[in-house]
Amino acid sequence: MAEAIARRTLIPPYLLSAPALLLYCALLLTPMLMTFLLSFNSFDLYTGIKPDYSLANYLEVIQDKYFHVIFLRTFGMALVVTLICALLGAPEAYILNRMANPWKSLFLLAVLGPLLISVVVRTLGWALLFGKEGAINMTLMGLGLVDEPVKLIFTSTGVVIALVHVLVPFMVISVWASLQKLDPATERAGLSLGASQFTVLRRVVVPQVMPGVLSGSLIVFALTASAFATPAILGGRRLKVVATTAYDEYLNTLNWPLGAAIAILLLAANVIIITSYNRVIEKKYAEAFG
Amino acid sequence: MSFLRLQGLVKRFGDFVAVDDVSLEVEKGEFVSLLGPSGCGKTTTLQMIAGFEEPSEGRIFIDGKDITGVKASQRGIGIVFQSYALFPHMSVFQNVSFGLEMRKVPEAERKKRVMETLDLVHLGDFAQRFPRELSGGQQQRVALARALVIKPEVLLLDEPLSALDAKIREDMQIELRGIQRTVGTTTILVTHDQSEALSMSDRVAVMNEGRLVQVDMPYQAYEFPETPFVSSFLGKSNRFSGVVSGQSNGKLKVKVGELEFEAEAGRGPREGPVHLSVRPEKLLLTAPAEGRFTGRVHTRIFLGNHWVYQIDSPFGPLLASHHNAGIQSVAEGEEVGLTWAVEELRVLAPEEAGDG
Repeated sequence: MAEAIARRTLIPPYLLSAPALLLYCALLLTPMLMTFLLSFNSFDLYTGIKPDYSLANYLEVIQDKYFHVIFLRTFGMALVVTLICALLGAPEAYILNRMANPWKSLFLLAVLGPLLISVVVRTLGWALLFGKEGAINMTLMGLGLVDEPVKLIFTSTGVVIALVHVLVPFMVISVWASLQKLDPATERAGLSLGASQFTVLRRVVVPQVMPGVLSGSLIVFALTASAFATPAILGGRRLKVVATTAYDEYLNTLNWPLGAAIAILLLAANVIIITSYNRVIEKKYAEAFG
Repeated sequence: MSFLRLQGLVKRFGDFVAVDDVSLEVEKGEFVSLLGPSGCGKTTTLQMIAGFEEPSEGRIFIDGKDITGVKASQRGIGIVFQSYALFPHMSVFQNVSFGLEMRKVPEAERKKRVMETLDLVHLGDFAQRFPRELSGGQQQRVALARALVIKPEVLLLDEPLSALDAKIREDMQIELRGIQRTVGTTTILVTHDQSEALSMSDRVAVMNEGRLVQVDMPYQAYEFPETPFVSSFLGKSNRFSGVVSGQSNGKLKVKVGELEFEAEAGRGPREGPVHLSVRPEKLLLTAPAEGRFTGRVHTRIFLGNHWVYQIDSPFGPLLASHHNAGIQSVAEGEEVGLTWAVEELRVLAPEEAGDG
């Protein structure tokens, strides 16, 4: 009897999670494993993929300056986008949090609403704005601020602006969550102890929402480093990032093994950066926030 | 000249009057409680003293200086918040030190004053801990130390004990009072807990619906409430409505139903309809024949140090409470006589609309 109950309570959890596990294995683990294996194969322009195993693809990426530039550009961009998102998103969340309804709900919707629209569509919107005869350049020239069109499309600046727009909601959500834990009385306590409004922000509010900013940074950084649609549309063929390079290897050069190696390296770099960053944060905040 | 003076304070939120013409004078070193049910305006009054709310009308003076328009950060008032509002990312030492840093106190003196204040609240050994590693009572002490270390002119306590367990709360009441005596800071306590107000303060200011109803020493306020609201809010009371039927030698005769009771004419009305009030501990149980009237014990509850009886009487249910003096108590269902000493019966104005 007891055994029957034990068996009955043991089996259903596995049974119930089986569909999800199957889906996870079939759709995520298998392709990833296959990509991993593929990255060790070699490629010949005339005969295609050869089923042999070597580190040649990895060595090529690691030794070729062409790829160095792409990797540096990708992570540099991720850093800049993360920084700008933190500088914009954190104050945005703070102000939103202090607004009264209905403005609060309305603005929150305005901030999060863009997430409902496809990244591709939003990026194409930016392409319209950025173009030589786009709205931004027409306005700037109409006002006489510049004599010739500012180059925005196919530049890092353009890609960064669009990525910030796409990713800032993630920062806002993350900071918003940590603001919910902030006791507004701590701000008043700071004031009553003689601190100015600015000092209260700097010494009382910011340190308390820092965990939110840092976890938001993690999300934004990871998403920027692996972003594809925005750099592809706004960066074009010349301003390559890692994700678009892998794509080109697959679909233009047809060198799937090299593309796979690039993808695996991007994944590895991302995982290493994120886990070590996370460890540093946890160490720093474990004492106060637990 | 009083040290802290509130002069005709009014606070309106739209059409709602939260605080209605509150004037109060507090002497230097005095401990005054603002006591009232939630929504009576006591917290809003505190916020105005602290500088977090601007009064719609009226002025606030500290030591003769008008501080009505002064920013909260410039008032030099120490506040202990209901939630304690400790800075979670700072150690106990850093929390207490914060106010001194804002005042640019040199480091050596700062360190000395922080440790002195932490010793005062018995937390000298906890300086390096973080708030979340402390118990509620300890966090409360840190909050108190943080408010006191700046040597505030006025200390405001906003329901400081409401988040604590009953047992710790009693200990903290005594300790808080002791610390306040030692330091001698003029203190305003906001609370809805009458026992807290009675046990800690020099004077109690009872508030209801935005107005100050009675300001008195705790004993006076409890024994001689001026309105039915105060008599029922401060402790429990048995009430009868009656009509004054005569007056002789400074004593009133009040007719309640078929009976007539004698009472001292106090500060209350001397004619017309009145309320009579007698405290549960002053309502005495006797043999049925010896009482002013009789009743039957409905429920009896034993609370360790005293018994509480609910008694059915011709005037509705009455409450009596007596010390557990080791004497056999009356059983449920027994008939008892009920009486009181003449001087324990209070004559109050009948309830006004909205008063209680």
